[in-house]
Amino acid sequence: MEQLINEIKLKLIDALNLDGMTPADIDDHAPLFGDEGLGLDSIDVLELIVLLERNYGIRLANPQEGKKVFQSVAVMADYVAANRTK
Amino acid sequence: MLTIKRFASIPCGTDLTALYRATVGDYPKFFKMDTACKLGFLLAEQLADEPRFTPREDRAVLMFSTCGSLCNDRHYEETVREFPSPSLFVYTLPNIITGEIAIRNKYEGETSAYVMERFDPETFVALVEQAFQDSVTASALCGWVDCRADDDYTAFAFLVERGGNGKEFNVDNLYGTVNQ
Amino acid sequence: METLIHVTGAGVVSAVGCGQGETLDALRRGRSGIAPVRYLRTEEKAFPVGEVKFSDAEMAARCGARQGLSRTSLMGILALEEALAQAGLKDLTGVPLIGGTTVGGMDLTERIFPAYSPLHDCGASTDAIAAHFGGSPWATTLSTACSSAANAVIFGANLIRSGQAEIVAVGGSESLSDFHLHGFGSLMILDTAPCRPFDATRAGLNLGEGAAFLILESETSRKRRGVASLAVLSGFGNACDAFHQTASSENGEGAFLAMQKALRMAGLRPEEIDYVNAHGTGTPNNDASESAALRRVFGEQMPPVSSTKAFTGHTTSASGSIEAVFCLLALQEGFIPANLNWATPDPACITPYRGGDASCPTGHLPLKHILCNAFGFGGNDSSLLFSR
Repeated sequence: MEQLINEIKLKLIDALNLDGMTPADIDDHAPLFGDEGLGLDSIDVLELIVLLERNYGIRLANPQEGKKVFQSVAVMADYVAANRTK
Repeated sequence: MLTIKRFASIPCGTDLTALYRATVGDYPKFFKMDTACKLGFLLAEQLADEPRFTPREDRAVLMFSTCGSLCNDRHYEETVREFPSPSLFVYTLPNIITGEIAIRNKYEGETSAYVMERFDPETFVALVEQAFQDSVTASALCGWVDCRADDDYTAFAFLVERGGNGKEFNVDNLYGTVNQ
Repeated sequence: METLIHVTGAGVVSAVGCGQGETLDALRRGRSGIAPVRYLRTEEKAFPVGEVKFSDAEMAARCGARQGLSRTSLMGILALEEALAQAGLKDLTGVPLIGGTTVGGMDLTERIFPAYSPLHDCGASTDAIAAHFGGSPWATTLSTACSSAANAVIFGANLIRSGQAEIVAVGGSESLSDFHLHGFGSLMILDTAPCRPFDATRAGLNLGEGAAFLILESETSRKRRGVASLAVLSGFGNACDAFHQTASSENGEGAFLAMQKALRMAGLRPEEIDYVNAHGTGTPNNDASESAALRRVFGEQMPPVSSTKAFTGHTTSASGSIEAVFCLLALQEGFIPANLNWATPDPACITPYRGGDASCPTGHLPLKHILCNAFGFGGNDSSLLFSR
């Protein structure tokens, strides 16, 4: 799981152009959206949905589902581990 | 009469990230922008006047180019076949540059993005004058951001205001300022 | 406004028909043009679209255009031809052409360069349209996403107000393309069913295509030429929502400011507006934000409001001028186009007008002032006000 968390962090940094950040800068449990944590916005949600499909073969039907899955990197990793098709 | 309050330009080849770090530093959304938007954003930062970040309806943002968002269009097209990128798609809209500037600075006036065949100072001045036809617009941030590729662009902008003490905003002074 | 700006010609092509006659018939009968993909070359078939029901070859034959023009240009030529004819003009001699487009001819680029390398810029289609009509002294392209054509109207009106032109041709054209079908798809705002503007179950927009042009003319020129006035452009406004690249603010600030500017310019009170043709795309965000803005402008006295996107799909850059022509038809014919597909009220939204012919079978509604909204990504919000 730790390896998956690290992998997701790296992909997140790349996909969202989080300049200058390293996996160590992202808390596993910190919220990804809102004013705390990474402060991502609605277009970032869409970009993360693409990330899930491209890397793990997971298709989310709408952005609302994304809000649940993308609560934190740890929640994302659990979801990926349970639902990945590749 | 319209006058030039401020002028800014970014020479081709500038390290935009370094410029951002030196002059802004606290707006991570910068890293998500395409090159044209980064140029427009940085020009607007250099031209911004006090008080900042208070909503104002009296400032227009007008951007001109020959190629719209052509440079980023190519980046987006590369992703279309497999997984179209939503963030790249957003930047295929040539007017996102005016939107980004307006969002950052809370400029709520007119925003326009024009595409013209070549840089033509007469049309540029005429179109900016058009924006002052209403009774609300008191100043305009107007720029030429022509981004043909990530490393091939022309970028400059003026802050033009109604009245003011600067040089008159006309074709001669536009040329003079840009060529300096 | 100090100078009266008349509309002396109009032309339109969309999924509901080619020309004002077919368009009027479809709007009155409530006949939508939204259907599965038929003409667009794309692998993406999941979403219904509002296509113009002609192949490129059929369109080229109709307007006698030269070979190799993009669909965007062909639709623009068809619309402009009708507008010029109505205004009694042979060509664009002395007439600036202001066109709004964003993707502009991407359809052609996709076909010629299957490697998907955009080589054209979005100004190319306006230039091609101008060339078809003998060239224009001043062809300009405005690209402000889905408010492009509305902003072309505003820009042309300003040319007349400032005395730089007496007659202008203004509008926009946009064809469907794989490029923006995928793009809107990636933003997850396309509905797999026909769109339902302002309905509680709305789940996104349908993309459409089309073109429309208006001939705007000063009072002096119109009198000298002895042509009829279809309507007066009595006000307009453009404002920036300054909120987010693609989302509209909750209180609809940009839309509110744009409508307010238009009313102020026309010297009209909100209660004098007889109908609002809403932007109403059918996305959860747009319709709620626009409703908030409408409530701020009109308060308790909400005039009939409808979105015609369920007829045509969202014709993106061209929507501002296409819906302006719908408003001109409504003013002249005294009817209000229905907001199709609405069934479930949403507390966050206004209740749109659904009457159409049923509520006014023979009658002629005495419409005087109509607002027409067009909003674009980048928070670019415009409102046009047409009066009789």
